[in-house]
Amino acid sequence: MANSKSVILKIKRQQTPESKPYWEEFELSYRPGMNVTSALMDIAAKPVTRQGKPTTPVTYDSNCLEEICGSCAMLINGQAKMACSALVANLKQPITLAPLTKFPIVRDLAVDRSVLFENLKKVKAWIPVDGTYDLGSGPRQSAEMQEEAYPLSNCISCCCCMEACPQFNDKTGFVGAATIAQVRLFNSHPTGSALKTERLKALMGDGGIQECGYAQNCVEICPKELPLTKSIAAVGGQVMWQAIKDLFRT
Amino acid sequence: MASSASSIDTSSARIKQGVAPLRAGQGYSFVLRRLHSLSGIVPIGAFLIEHFISNSEATKGVQAYNDQVKFLTSLPFVHVLEWVFIFLPLLYHGIYGLYIWYKGDSNVGEYPWTGNWLYTSQRWTGIIAFIYIAYHVIDMRFLGVHLMGGGYQNAFSKVWFDFQSPWTIAFYVIGIVAVSWHFAYGVWLFAAKWGLTIGDQARRKFGYICAALAILLIGIGLWTITGFVQTPANQVPYVEHD
Repeated sequence: MANSKSVILKIKRQQTPESKPYWEEFELSYRPGMNVTSALMDIAAKPVTRQGKPTTPVTYDSNCLEEICGSCAMLINGQAKMACSALVANLKQPITLAPLTKFPIVRDLAVDRSVLFENLKKVKAWIPVDGTYDLGSGPRQSAEMQEEAYPLSNCISCCCCMEACPQFNDKTGFVGAATIAQVRLFNSHPTGSALKTERLKALMGDGGIQECGYAQNCVEICPKELPLTKSIAAVGGQVMWQAIKDLFRT
Repeated sequence: MASSASSIDTSSARIKQGVAPLRAGQGYSFVLRRLHSLSGIVPIGAFLIEHFISNSEATKGVQAYNDQVKFLTSLPFVHVLEWVFIFLPLLYHGIYGLYIWYKGDSNVGEYPWTGNWLYTSQRWTGIIAFIYIAYHVIDMRFLGVHLMGGGYQNAFSKVWFDFQSPWTIAFYVIGIVAVSWHFAYGVWLFAAKWGLTIGDQARRKFGYICAALAILLIGIGLWTITGFVQTPANQVPYVEHD
């Protein structure tokens, strides 16, 4: 048994996207304020398993180390979390680390989350201001609008909401909560609303907002506390109005 | 090096594994799924409430119950009504519901949260309701003494005889609880998904209303069963079987 000053990690490893996964155990000495990313850095500095076998450093995505870039999402003790903000002191040991299960594995804990980028492009999650000349300043936004919009702009594209969603899988091809929240954000923007109809129609396609089963895991798991269920309800209403308009006005 | 680099290339056209991106402008699942949601409220939910109210006439006795069945079975175009407003919507809601269940991957083991349990409960109560309603419709509408076309005087007896078996009563209790729960939570889901209850507080408050609706329906259902069970055999008219 490890003494109280050590940290045991069980990590699911996979050399290539096609090869078989396997588990490796590591034992590290505890340092105050240690988080999962810093533990992975310690392993990289001395890549030796608990059994004393030399191994390769664990591959993982990370960048900002302060829960703002969204790259280090992984399964920590079975739940999708950001490795940088997962403090070792708050985690049950042994700490199991595994890659997100619903995204293609690149290597070890690194997965390919480009499906979110594709989805954001499909719903035109941007404000159309690009052009060849200066369009001048946009319409003023009220403080009330800003308060609604700001939490939605906090999305870090970590994909935790999609990983935890029972409806996000191969069978549904569901778009996921993050994209729907961005539709709400850009539809609420006075200039962004120019593309509102296109966004709502995109969300009526297969894998669209209708696949939401309202299990509400998204809003529970979101590290940035986005109002995801509220956004799904609000955009759900917008999509229904669009559908009714399409039915009676075209 | 070049080959390993291409295997981690994340450019857009290369997603071959994993969940497919949104298929904007493709397919009919939006209409089918929203129709599934709507059909659970109207006509199925509306019929369910009518059915519970009508059946509760059993608590007033044999005559009151049979009179209610007489009224319902003598409605004009009764066969059109039952096919358009009951059987076809039930078939659609049930079969498409099974497809929805197949497509979801319940994960309460990893994420044991209230909303997730309710998500899972909606699938389990759905399958129980499907089996129960299939049995109930075949048994009450298509087998045994026929209540349509003047057979109404046998209505109370038909149910009463069925309830002589404690297993049937148990099955009805399970069915009533599952259907009531599925309907009440379905109303809550409808309000959330169609954008009627947008805010967190609105959804929570409407949740209490839907919970009360579930309890009310279960109460009416169980009270109705006691109406049959507590009627002594000598008050139940003899039914001549076909």
